[in-house]
Formats: sequence, structure tokens, C-alpha cells
Amino acid sequence: MKTRLLALVAAIGLGFGLAQQANLKACFIYVGPIGDVGWTYAHDEARRAAEKAIPGLTTQYVESVKPADTLATVDRLVAGGCNVIFTTSFDFMDQTLEAAKKYPNVIFAHASGFKRAPNMLTYMADFYQIYYLNGLMAGALTKSGKVGYVAAFPIPELKRHISAFALGVRAVNPRATVNVKWINAWYDPVKAREATEALIAEGNDIVAFTEDTATVIQTAARRRVPSFSHYNSMYKYAPDYVVSGQLVDWSVIYIDILKKVQNGTYTPKNLENVDYWWLARERAVMLGAQVGMPINPKFEPALKQATMVVNGKRVSVYDRVMELYKDIQSPNPKWDPFTGPIRDRNGVLRVPAGRKMTVKELNEMQWVAPGVVGPVPDEPK
Amino acid sequence: MRLEPLPNPSPLRSVGVTLLALGLAFALVGGVFWAYGLGPLEAYRTMLEGTLLDPRGWQEVLRRTIPLLLIGVGLSLAFRTQFYNIGAEGQLLLGAVLAAGVALFLPLPPALSLPAMALAAALGGALWCGLAAWLKNRLSVNEILTTLMLNYVAQSLVIYLINGPWRGKDVRGYIYSDRFAEHQQLPVLLGTNVHWPTLALGVVLALLLQLLLFRSTLGFRLRVVGENPGAARYLGIPQSRAFLVVALITGGTAGLAGFGEIAGIHHRLIEPTQLSSGYGFTAIIVAWLARGHPALVLLTAPLMGLILAGGDVLKVALNMPFRIVDVFSGVMLFALIGSELFLHYRLRLR
Repeated sequence: MKTRLLALVAAIGLGFGLAQQANLKACFIYVGPIGDVGWTYAHDEARRAAEKAIPGLTTQYVESVKPADTLATVDRLVAGGCNVIFTTSFDFMDQTLEAAKKYPNVIFAHASGFKRAPNMLTYMADFYQIYYLNGLMAGALTKSGKVGYVAAFPIPELKRHISAFALGVRAVNPRATVNVKWINAWYDPVKAREATEALIAEGNDIVAFTEDTATVIQTAARRRVPSFSHYNSMYKYAPDYVVSGQLVDWSVIYIDILKKVQNGTYTPKNLENVDYWWLARERAVMLGAQVGMPINPKFEPALKQATMVVNGKRVSVYDRVMELYKDIQSPNPKWDPFTGPIRDRNGVLRVPAGRKMTVKELNEMQWVAPGVVGPVPDEPK
Repeated sequence: MRLEPLPNPSPLRSVGVTLLALGLAFALVGGVFWAYGLGPLEAYRTMLEGTLLDPRGWQEVLRRTIPLLLIGVGLSLAFRTQFYNIGAEGQLLLGAVLAAGVALFLPLPPALSLPAMALAAALGGALWCGLAAWLKNRLSVNEILTTLMLNYVAQSLVIYLINGPWRGKDVRGYIYSDRFAEHQQLPVLLGTNVHWPTLALGVVLALLLQLLLFRSTLGFRLRVVGENPGAARYLGIPQSRAFLVVALITGGTAGLAGFGEIAGIHHRLIEPTQLSSGYGFTAIIVAWLARGHPALVLLTAPLMGLILAGGDVLKVALNMPFRIVDVFSGVMLFALIGSELFLHYRLRLR
């Protein structure tokens, strides 16, 4: 009798739970405008894809939210009935944690951070492997041996990406340098343009970047300098000059999270250890000038002609990129750019031979690889 | 049709013209809403419901009113004296810098640290603006240019500090300073971001400056300098002294606004664009609307605060682009400055 009563109570409870999840409302707080054609645009595309893919899901977004306004925005969203709130920038980390404490029954998901709570998970689609592949191509295409890099903030994410890129460049051209300019902004087309023009004036003949606009590509193309697409398909802005790039598909992560919330796998009590670290293997990131075009055909001949030495054998850069790209997309990738021995640019051994960097180490990386030129704040000596 | 100058426009005319300009601005922005596919009335209703009819909305309006009020009272005084300070944003930043400096590096007894931070902030803003006044007096450099340019210098200074010597210990590559201690943070109304001591300070300053301007010899001199520089010279009122005084006052209040923002909300020195949301520029509209009466800023600052908070509501509730707030302030300033003509001229139809 007692057990039957319990079962009944449980069933009712479950029924309630299901009824609640049937009208799942996911809300997105963006750091930039959805028209940035970079980071925020990519998140918004994924939001729309998730809404299409999951029946019963409604979504809402707020763009260009300043970290100081995060809590006020969360207040409004929760009042509007959001059960899941995605805060899509590292900048929102502390405020998201605060909001998670204030609303223990709402699920929070914070992109690219490292603080979690029972009702707050973290997620990231990371590019470092793809950056290495782009580095290989940049190393093959530069004639001056100087590769420019426009970078937003000197956070571990960027140090990881710039280092992976530089390792790639140097694997092809051991004397080449990657010259970094920090613009201290995610979205600032003016600063991005100034940095690009300065880099080109200093003799860099190919540029890559990590910030949220297509400015670098447009500026570089005007000077006939090749560049790499970042976050979204930016091929269309300069079809003659975009070599390849790193592309993201956040929708695979959003759909996975939201389905698991819907079917009850994720509750506001069990997210303390949920951290998505998705790469090419999960199809969260891709190599390409645009989706479906890993390498711009205009640059294929040059990349096939350029060669590099891998394990004592001479191979074309094109083949090497394709081989590695195939590997990291496989269920069990064998290769990783941060496989030791790796020394930082000051000569300190950072990854011993035979070991790969862990996700935690990648997330906290403060050193940069050899070949990176320019001041790097917080670099360990 | 011709324009006829009015030698002595009545205060009533000034109120009427201002209200008409505001009405025109709201109508024009209504047109923007309509073009965006929203009913203008519906949009305005949403704005009001999300701000004035909602306790959470009130706190947002107040939070944004505080810096606008503090900067606005100083600017209204400065504009009255025809000292066109466009650099309140930079003065706010300098105030924040000095307040942060005191908080981070000056070991003080807890009871003294907030007053010391406020004092340092006022001093920082005042000196930053005083620099422009000095250049104007000494070398006749236009203060519109210098104050505007000094904004960028202040921004770069903040970035340099948080990127270099003042960078926090556990910031993971981001650029901001360490967090202030509890006793270095302004008290807030429970559960909100409204740092009330700064709000009270703003109200007091508005009334004090109103008294100063209309009930004191100094105020009389400032008004004469503003309204008729020739007469001021004839009366032997030193123009340069007047400029320096207003510069120190307007810079000082802007510095206090910077103190409020970092001691009340951010609790650390952060990037300039995050720190202030352009309050130094928005306050220009606030001051212009007040037509040279610091006390009237008590009305115009909440109005602009309402528009800023209402813009956020539009962003969240109707998914309008975030630039809508800029459109709002831009159209408003345009209408106000355009209306200036009708303050001093009458339109005659023949």
C-alpha cells in the first residue's frame, strides 16, 4: 500500500515535471549585436536551429548586454518564463553564478567559463585544433615570413588559439613569426581595422584574427592580403582572399543540452560537473572558408605545391591539412596540436614529451608558443 | 514667412518649446517603431509598463538616473556659462580611476574609505576638466575640442592601468582590477543596484548649484559671463576665472558619477565602455533639456533614465535592435537643438 502510494506520488511528480518541460523556454543573453557576423551571430543561428529541431521549445534573446546589466536582464527573462538561460560570453561568468544562486530552479548554461553550480553548466566549442590547421596554411602562404594576428583579449582561450596557430605556422616555416596586436574588444570594427592596417604596414602578408567582426577580412582584402574566416562563413566578404578558417556550429551543443533538459536528464540539481568541451569530433567546429569549403579552391594549387617535413617524410601542406582534419573528425582522434614536447616562447618546457595537454590546462593556459611576437600580458616567465 | 527675433523670451515659451521638441522627438521615434513593424503606441506602452509599472523597472530607471543626474547638474551650470564641456565621459572615468586608486592602494580605516574615494573621484574629474579650462584661458584652445579629446586620453589611461600596473590577480587574461573590499562598496537599496548615497548626493548638488547660480554673487557672475561676455568684461568680471570655476564644478560632479558607478555597481575598475555606458554623452541631453537650471535636472535626468531603461525593455520584450536607445537620444538631441531657434525667434506668417 505504502509503496503504491509512493509510486503514485512519484508519478504525479513526474507528470508535473514533464508538463513543465513540455513548454520549455530557452533564453539567450548575448554580449554583442546579433548582426556582428561573428560570435553572437553564430549563437543566434544556433538558437534558431534549436528552435526548429526541438518541438515545444520557444526561445528569446537579448543582444548587446553589458556584464553589469546581466542580473537585471536575467530578472526580466525569468519573470517572462524562461526555464533555461544561456549566457554566451566569458564576461558574464560571475554574474551568471550570482543569478544561478538567486534562481535555484532555473537552469543556467555559461559559455567558455569555468565556474559551475548545481543549476549551472558550462559549454564551449573550441577551435584550437582547427587553428593549427590554419597555421599550417598561413605558414605555407606567407612570403615575408610574417603572419599578422588581430586578437581581442589576452585570455587563455586566445593564447591557446594563437599558440596552436603559431605551432602550425612554424611546422611549415620554422623561421616565420606570428605578430599579435590586442584590440581589447570583442566588437570594435574601428580598432580591428586599425590593427589590421598596422600589421599589413609592418610587412605581414597574411592575417588571422580572433574577434567578432569581419573587419579584418574586409580590410585585408582591400590590401590584397589573404586572411582566415572566423566563427562564420566569411568567404562571401572576400572570395579571392579568404583561404580557410574556423567555423562553429553551436546548434549541436544547444540541441543536446535542451533535449536533455526536456527529457529530465538535466535538472537544476545535477549540473555541477557538466562541462561541454566539443571539438571537430562532435561537429561543433569545422575547418573552412565557408561551410562545405574547407579550403578555398583559389589557394589549393599553392598549398599543394608547398611542402613540409612530417616524421622525416616530405608531404604537401594540403595533404597534411586534410589528413589531420580527417583525424580530428574521427571518433578517436590520434593527433593533437598540444602534444609534447612543447616549450613556450621563453624556452620553458610546458608539455613533456609523450603527453597531451588536458582540458583544464588548455583552459588555464597562460604561456604562448615560440614564434608569437608582441607583448602578451600575464605571461609566466 | 519670416523669423522675428524675440528680445526677451518668456520662461513659458521656453517650457513650451522644449515640450514641443520632446513631443516631436517621440513622434519621430514612433515613426521608427512603425517602420520597424511595431505599433508606436504599443512600443511606448511596453516601455512604460516595463519601467514605471514594474518595481524592477523602477530600480533600473533609478540606477541610470544617478550618473545622469550627477553629470547633468554640472553640465547645466557649464552650458549656462557657455563652457561647452563635451568631456564628462572622460571626467567620469578619471573619477573612477582615482576612486579605484584610493580603494586599491590606500590603507584607510573602513569608515573613511568611501568618503576618501568620493573626494578623490571629484578631484580627478575636476582636474581633468580644469586642464581644458586652463588650455582655454591660457592658449585660447576651444574647450569643445579639448574636452572631447581628453575623453580618449582617459579611456586609454583606464585601459593602460587595468592592463598593466593595476591588473587584478585572478583575472585570467581579462583586463580589470581586483575587487574592492566590502567596506569600499556603496550601500544599495535592498536587492537592487541603486546606490542611494550617490542618488542623495545628486539631489543635494542639484539644489545647491541652483542656489549658487541664482542666489549668490558667484552665480550672478557666471550668468553674466554666459549671457553676455562683453558686459562681463565691462563689469570687470574675469572670464577666465569663471571658466575655471565651472570647469572644476562640472568635472567634479562627473567624477562623482564615476565614483558611484564603480563603488556602487562594478566594485572594480573595468574597461571604459563597460564602466559607463556613455553616460557622459547622454547627460549632455539631460543638461540641455534643463535649459541651464541645475534643479530642473531633477526632472530631466529621470526622464533620460526612463528612456535608457525603456530601451532595455524594448530589447528584451520586443527584441528590438540594441541601437534603438541611440536612435532615441540622437533624435531627441536633434529636436532640442533644432528647437533652439524658436526660443529666440518667432515665426511670422504674412
